[in-house]
Amino acid sequence: MIAGRTRDALARRLICDPRARVAVAVLVSLIVIAAFAPLLSPYDPKSQLDIVALRSQPPSAQHLFGTDTFSRDVLSRMIHGARVSLVIAALSVTLSITIGVLVGATAGFLGGTVDTVLMRFVDGALSVPRLLLILVVVALWQHIGVGVLTLLLGLTGWFGVSRLVRAETLSVRERDFVLAARALGSGPARILQQHILPNVVGPALVAAALGIGNVILLEAGLSFLGIGVRPPTPSWGAIIQDGAERVGELWWMTLFPGLAILVTVFACNALADALRDALDPRQLPYDSSAQRQAPQA
Amino acid sequence: MPHPLRVSGLTAVLSMLVLALAACTDRTAQPTASAGAGDEGGTIVISTAADAGSLLPTLVTSITDREVTDLLFDRLAEIGYSLNTVGDKDFSPQLAERWEWASDSMSIVFHINPKARWHDGAPVRASDVRYSFGLIRDSTVGSPIASLVSNVDSVSVRDSLTAVVWYKHHVPEQFYDFVYQVVVVPEHILSNTPGAQLKSADVTRRGIGSGQFRLAKWEPGVRLELVADTANYRGRPKVDRILFLVSPDYNAAATRFFSGEADVLEGLRADLIPKMATDTTRRVIRFPSLNYSYLRFNAVDPTAPSRPHPIFGDRAVRRALSMAIDRRAMLRNVFDTIGHLAYGPFPTASSLADSTLSQLPYDTMQARALLNGAGWRVGPDGIRVKNGRRLEFALATPSSSAIRHQYAVLIQDALRRVGAAVRIDESDFPSFTAGQLARTHDAEMGSYNPDPSVSALRQSWATAGIGGDGQNYGSYSNPVVDALIDSAMTSFDAARTEDFAHRAFNRIIQDAPAVWLYENPSMAGVARRIHTTRIRADGYWSGLADWFIPAAERTARDRLGLRPTP
Amino acid sequence: MGGFLARRFLQAVSVVFSVTTLTFVLIHMAPGDPIMVALQSPNITEPVRAQWRASFGLDRPLGEQYLRWMASIARGDLGFSFSLRRPVHDVFADALPRTLVLTGLALVLAFAIGIIVGVLQAERPGGSRDRGLGRVLLVLYSVPDFWLALLALVLFAYRFPVLPAGGMVDPVMHDYLTFSGRVADRLRHLVLPVATLALLTAAGIARYQRAALLDVVHADWMRTAVAKGLSWRVALRRHALRNALLPVITLASLSLPALAAGAVFVERVFSWPGMGNVTVTAIAARDSPLVTAGVLLISTVVAVGSLMADVGVALADPRIRVAS
Repeated sequence: MIAGRTRDALARRLICDPRARVAVAVLVSLIVIAAFAPLLSPYDPKSQLDIVALRSQPPSAQHLFGTDTFSRDVLSRMIHGARVSLVIAALSVTLSITIGVLVGATAGFLGGTVDTVLMRFVDGALSVPRLLLILVVVALWQHIGVGVLTLLLGLTGWFGVSRLVRAETLSVRERDFVLAARALGSGPARILQQHILPNVVGPALVAAALGIGNVILLEAGLSFLGIGVRPPTPSWGAIIQDGAERVGELWWMTLFPGLAILVTVFACNALADALRDALDPRQLPYDSSAQRQAPQA
Repeated sequence: MPHPLRVSGLTAVLSMLVLALAACTDRTAQPTASAGAGDEGGTIVISTAADAGSLLPTLVTSITDREVTDLLFDRLAEIGYSLNTVGDKDFSPQLAERWEWASDSMSIVFHINPKARWHDGAPVRASDVRYSFGLIRDSTVGSPIASLVSNVDSVSVRDSLTAVVWYKHHVPEQFYDFVYQVVVVPEHILSNTPGAQLKSADVTRRGIGSGQFRLAKWEPGVRLELVADTANYRGRPKVDRILFLVSPDYNAAATRFFSGEADVLEGLRADLIPKMATDTTRRVIRFPSLNYSYLRFNAVDPTAPSRPHPIFGDRAVRRALSMAIDRRAMLRNVFDTIGHLAYGPFPTASSLADSTLSQLPYDTMQARALLNGAGWRVGPDGIRVKNGRRLEFALATPSSSAIRHQYAVLIQDALRRVGAAVRIDESDFPSFTAGQLARTHDAEMGSYNPDPSVSALRQSWATAGIGGDGQNYGSYSNPVVDALIDSAMTSFDAARTEDFAHRAFNRIIQDAPAVWLYENPSMAGVARRIHTTRIRADGYWSGLADWFIPAAERTARDRLGLRPTP
Repeated sequence: MGGFLARRFLQAVSVVFSVTTLTFVLIHMAPGDPIMVALQSPNITEPVRAQWRASFGLDRPLGEQYLRWMASIARGDLGFSFSLRRPVHDVFADALPRTLVLTGLALVLAFAIGIIVGVLQAERPGGSRDRGLGRVLLVLYSVPDFWLALLALVLFAYRFPVLPAGGMVDPVMHDYLTFSGRVADRLRHLVLPVATLALLTAAGIARYQRAALLDVVHADWMRTAVAKGLSWRVALRRHALRNALLPVITLASLSLPALAAGAVFVERVFSWPGMGNVTVTAIAARDSPLVTAGVLLISTVVAVGSLMADVGVALADPRIRVAS
């Protein structure tokens, strides 16, 4: 009931936000591109067209974004790369959010020793650069496939989420409707499911949007350092890495995938901003109209 | 114990190699003006990919170590441009001003140049020679070259300037074995450190030798500066200073060269050749390469070495896969117009080389037919299947080599077209080598820098090289090839040796234990104001002390002079 | 207060301890032979490798290696790098100050930019300046670190070569310059890496600063200040900023891991011979002593940084001071 009303209000505020509209448009078209990649891409992304005559060609009418050193069409690789990059991001973020929500809600709801132990662990994990952690693991266990990479990104991405969710849970836990439900004899699992989870959906969504952007950046960074998706699978980071050796001459292999990453991450972050503002109306601009809109807590 | 076969075969083989190499170096030698009076001075800046690790020749493990220590330290005598390793006639005096052979050739007396001094001013003595050899032999030191001096029995000191080297066997290369491998190091500097601690001792980083350059400053990972040893017994080098700039990233190294910050770019890559062709201030120096690279198939199952490999155990499959690979197009893709095709298990600079041997053709139709005939039928996803096993294998390649990575991806697509799935397993070089030594690779992108003799061929492609320290990593075994190689090694007739070797090559090529891909070109980029000398094939830096910069072509950094660094 | 500090300190120590132990275990569980790093050539025979393994204690059981390693850490000995062939301590003594200079300058610059931009935005929230700056910040926040660095490099070192492409000083001439020449040389080499890293970090700080300012503007005393006739802008600068700086101190500690990661890419692109470059090279070379010690050092620096920030907040915030 409450959740439903909040959801409607949230949706209304989001629709009014131009940032959200642009971000959703970008992300939806990306998803469409990724879904219909084989239909949209002009060439087979893994096929080497002519390793002598067509290698390292700058952008032209036949190859809008040029070809790489293996004579593969960069545009086609980017279109298929969207698939790989987005799937890695979506799956790993789903994993992080799930773990983060479960851990955060458990810690916040149960409190006590469980809370202390979990949050100390999270504090510790947050103080290590995620990049470093992944680098050590990926570099030492070589021949890592897309699956393991996704798992690794997911398992190292939930720490921040769990803190957010815990804070939200703590604030909800003592509210009247939760206390009432308890008094009526609802078990912890039921309370968690009925009352707490709906209230942490908002922060979790924000974290998910930010997380997807983050993972795409991280995957590109790992590829740049020479660790990432195995050839010939195209991901945006892998395309950049293929051209990184000769960035001065083969600029098209760095520029276009880099822009694709920038636009996608920008859309994710803009969506996260819009979501956050929609969830927390206090953040609205300090002027008379905002004063009127702001609900009195 | 030295191999008697190897020694007798080498006599004939090496004399031919000498001729081949001499011709080769002559062809590629740079026309140079000779340095005149007043040409002393100048700075040569070298852009290098890796920093040195140890500056103690006994513990040298990398090419940069070798390069820097060659400039800092001396040997008793120096090998000639011919790289003739037989006897002593092509060697010229270095620390030893002269030497005499015992009548039975079981010992050689070396007379140390009385003017030779260590960089700290102490005189070089015969006991230093004895100490240097002892250090290599000391098992607690762990010198990587210990096995190369196994024919030397001992070194004794007759007087402070006379050292006697005693051998176990009289062999054609015995002079080379000691003189080339044993770099003389200072006993008075090193003897305070126990052998076991030498690997990690700071003293190995001080580089106090007797060479024409001395170590001035070393900022690890950044730069290493050598300056002329002006009082050197062999005369001072022409230039004042050599500066190595370390850039692990090839782009950064190339940028330093093209921006003028560096004068020499080591390991110039093919993709920069077009740029160099139009450059009026820089030129390419090329020198003979003793290297060939290939894709090697493992003939036995890595998981059960007693069984043949489920894919590559079949000669027809190996031949088919070879025929599916367009080696010339790949060469063009990777090296543009300057690549050299590898024709078989030998570098073309070797005297035994024969680039006219019949090669397996590039013929995808025949490749498909052969695979069909061998029972590998195309499955639903385009990948062939036989008895439920997919025609799929891992291709190991070291991530440190951009060229091998490029080739691996090209091969992956080429083999996909005939129905074979290749999984590229990239690993860092240490892991790659470990896999190679343990014979765990299905297939690998390999590269050889062989000692260009029949014995190296035996080590890498005959049955004798399958176990232990042998380098036959694919366990390829053909008794006919073994017999031909043995015949080549025992023959005293040069023409017969060559004939046996060519027959062995032909067999190997037809058996396709590997796909012969390319020879790595040995090139460096050099600023035109640097006047180089002849380049020796075992290290372009060997004549660096004679490189010079004419006064008229000097820039600000050449005029810094020898004043001490602040 | 004392109890808080002690607890916080113990927590930092235990974090560093667990992270390092985890790294040690991960590295030693990974397949591969660490001595291959030093002896890569296939021509080197097995007895030589065995001898090296024994002399560095690599033939011992993992538990014993771990205890030896902990003992040597306690003595201040961080081990020996196989790929660089020198004590890890020496490697870090060279690299750490370089990274601290780079990240320190970048952090200061990032805070200056971030706070100014955040205030400029918060003065007229929702205005065109706020929205314009917000978009620029969001782009900077979304750009891959290495890509921005590459862009700066291609633009200012290759296309318009006004600044050096990399390194810390002119490697040839630096030692021969006058004192002022040497200072200028150092500064020229600092511009691109510091500016890139600062921009990357500033984006987060400015966004946080704006949010923090807008958080406190709803406080009663802000309303009072505005009611008393102070202009909104003056009230913001005089009162709100001081209160909003507190969360920014916390942010400094939170941004340390991100800063460390950013430094890895910036050092890589601009050939800056600092910790990031050392660590990445060590990982690529599987130089286990160097990697383990590198993780130990980086996590210590990050832990000390956040400890100091927490202490700073505790000292500045009367509520925490009173509470304990």
